Amino acid sequence: MGGLNRSYAVDDELPPLVKEMTQEAINLFEGSAGESGPSQFTDEETARETLGTEGTVASGRMSLSFAIELLRRYFGSDVYNHTGSVDLRFLRPVRPGDTITFTGRITGVTREVNGSRVSVEIKAENQRGDTTGAGQGSAVVPNAYLPSDE
Amino acid sequence: MVEADDRILLDWDALQVGETFDSYEYVLTQDMIDTYRQGVMDSEASFPTISHKVDVKQYNARYRDAGSVNARCAFYCYNPPVPGKRITVRAWIADKYLRRGKNYIVTEAVSVDEDGRLIDRVITHELKQPTEVGKKWGG
Repeated sequence: MGGLNRSYAVDDELPPLVKEMTQEAINLFEGSAGESGPSQFTDEETARETLGTEGTVASGRMSLSFAIELLRRYFGSDVYNHTGSVDLRFLRPVRPGDTITFTGRITGVTREVNGSRVSVEIKAENQRGDTTGAGQGSAVVPNAYLPSDE
Repeated sequence: MVEADDRILLDWDALQVGETFDSYEYVLTQDMIDTYRQGVMDSEASFPTISHKVDVKQYNARYRDAGSVNARCAFYCYNPPVPGKRITVRAWIADKYLRRGKNYIVTEAVSVDEDGRLIDRVITHELKQPTEVGKKWGG
């Protein structure tokens, strides 16, 4: 997926991203870094001892990865993988079995030396409508991708 | 035989903002990338460095504590890592703060590959009273 030519305007909404959280996905995420021991993410007893929860939770970094995917799909990998950022607060645990929907809305477009920074408000909600994460992200879009100024 | 844990017990009050950790190196393999992409259900996911949690890895190598919960995380993309390249991470304590009676530590790390390509920067705010999660959100 390359750079996408499109206009960006405040209040434009990004196509939502939906993720079905499973314990298998959590185990793969943790295992991808070579972590094989029990943790609050992979082992219910460890989660009970460490967090006081009945079951495991997903690492906040999985939600971070999903927020990055939301923005990368919107801006294109050529742009987002080199200029993108995300800053996400984790407000509620995400658990196996949850369905998390990530949404985004443009909050600002500001000209910079090397392009225009498009800022996005991000929200993640579970299937019950609870907000599990919230924050901001941005990417610097080359001015060539944008309509010329009047 | 259980190995002795010679890490330093965290004294949050004494922890110095700006404290740097030993640099950390690893080789990002194609298998790591593939497994990460399966985990996040995204075949084009470009920053598998996220799951390595490199900003807190060196903190956890130096300190022991009651555990932690990730409260906030910021990530800056510069260049997707290339499989097979050695990545060097430099990490430090970026901040610490007390909010609603709870202790937080902010760690920051920058990753660069063996060719000098800047990969990413990550900043994580960790709550150092992890049982607060169970108290607030239950099972």
